Amino acid sequence: MDLLTRQPLLVASALLVPLLVLASPGWLSLDGVGPCWAVLWLLPWALSDGPFSGACAGLALGLLLDAVYPGGVTQVPALLLLGWWWGRMGRRAPPIQRSFSLGLLALLGTALLGLTLMLQWGVQDWVGTREAVQLAGPELGRNLADQGVNPALLALPGWRWDDLAGPGLRVLLSQTLITALLAPMLCSLQLLLWRQVGSGWRR
Amino acid sequence: MPAWRWLRFVQGSSLRRITPWLLVLLALVAVRLSKGAVVSDAYALLSRPFWPGTAQAEWLRSARRVEDGARLAQLEQDNQRLRTLLELQKQNPNRVTAPVISRDGAGWWRQLLLGQGALSGIRAGQAVVGPGGLVGLVGSVTPSTASVTLLTDPRSRVGVWVGRTQHHGLLTGIGTGRPLLRFLEKDPQARPGDVVVTSPASTLVPPNLPVGVIQSMDANADPAPVAVVQLIAPVSALDWVQVQVR
Repeated sequence: MDLLTRQPLLVASALLVPLLVLASPGWLSLDGVGPCWAVLWLLPWALSDGPFSGACAGLALGLLLDAVYPGGVTQVPALLLLGWWWGRMGRRAPPIQRSFSLGLLALLGTALLGLTLMLQWGVQDWVGTREAVQLAGPELGRNLADQGVNPALLALPGWRWDDLAGPGLRVLLSQTLITALLAPMLCSLQLLLWRQVGSGWRR
Repeated sequence: MPAWRWLRFVQGSSLRRITPWLLVLLALVAVRLSKGAVVSDAYALLSRPFWPGTAQAEWLRSARRVEDGARLAQLEQDNQRLRTLLELQKQNPNRVTAPVISRDGAGWWRQLLLGQGALSGIRAGQAVVGPGGLVGLVGSVTPSTASVTLLTDPRSRVGVWVGRTQHHGLLTGIGTGRPLLRFLEKDPQARPGDVVVTSPASTLVPPNLPVGVIQSMDANADPAPVAVVQLIAPVSALDWVQVQVR
């Protein structure tokens, strides 16, 4: 927690994450899907600064990203949990700095983040479908094939379950892989930076 | 008198022997002092037959011609594009031309960020048109930016019809590059190649904007037939779009 308490201005580097999300270059992507910059920033910060600081940074990042991305889903819980988990990991175990470990942690974190998003969309779709069926009345809702098309059901915006299972899974896999590939390079540099800054202030 | 003895030794027949070597040394010094005059000249003389001839000059000239032609075509195309943009701006005073400053064509959210916002009169829900037709609807605005929900985004639902048969449907993004057209009738009589335009019955979008071309049909889908639509506007290459402000 040295970084957060002694140099709170360093958290401002989290502002880079939404900017990177917007400016993510087209060539730095897998199947068109860019990396998850939030994970790439949060992982070294939490590892070097403990669970409380990691959770705070995760909350801040989640709020920033929810502002960038529209829709009724939130990334706050996943990032909060990841910050806390990685912070504990950095405190309990001997320092994690090997490329493979960083890549694996980034992979798990991105997958968890994507899965929470998919879960939220899935629940929204389920609730929306139930409401649309209720709205259309029992006779239209019971059997769509016989009674014709329920426009309220068609007009329901957002990811559907079957889309999540197809294109959604593709997005999840691409983002997870590209983030895990980038993590060893970017996260080890940031770890080095945070540790140097932190130790410099402790002296 | 050791020095004289040495001179006498040189003055003998040995002086005659080393004279040519002294001359060579002098010549080398002369070459060195003249910065290699003789060597370069000799090289030029020897390599004369291999000098670049007229053929090579011809190749260079043809390369230059090709380059000029390509640049001319590029500039002409650019000029044409800018002229059309200018023309469109004149024709449609209620359209705001905006640059695309961030593009996310894949991933969980499929959206564009435009460099014009509420200060230019853009509001949420307005239609965004690119070269080739409708691209998406404005999702949210800030004073100087507007984020556009693309037609391929799963949150996008736009009422369209097939112009030829005049059957209505709902264009729904499903998270891939090509949105799905869900028809509202059992027998839409559409076939691959039909042009899809925005529906005149829709209140969300201006009527009869071209959107895409039907690529394949699935007539047996439940509950109504669906078609895969290829958008006309190249979303991944858009640099300028127009927002239909009211």
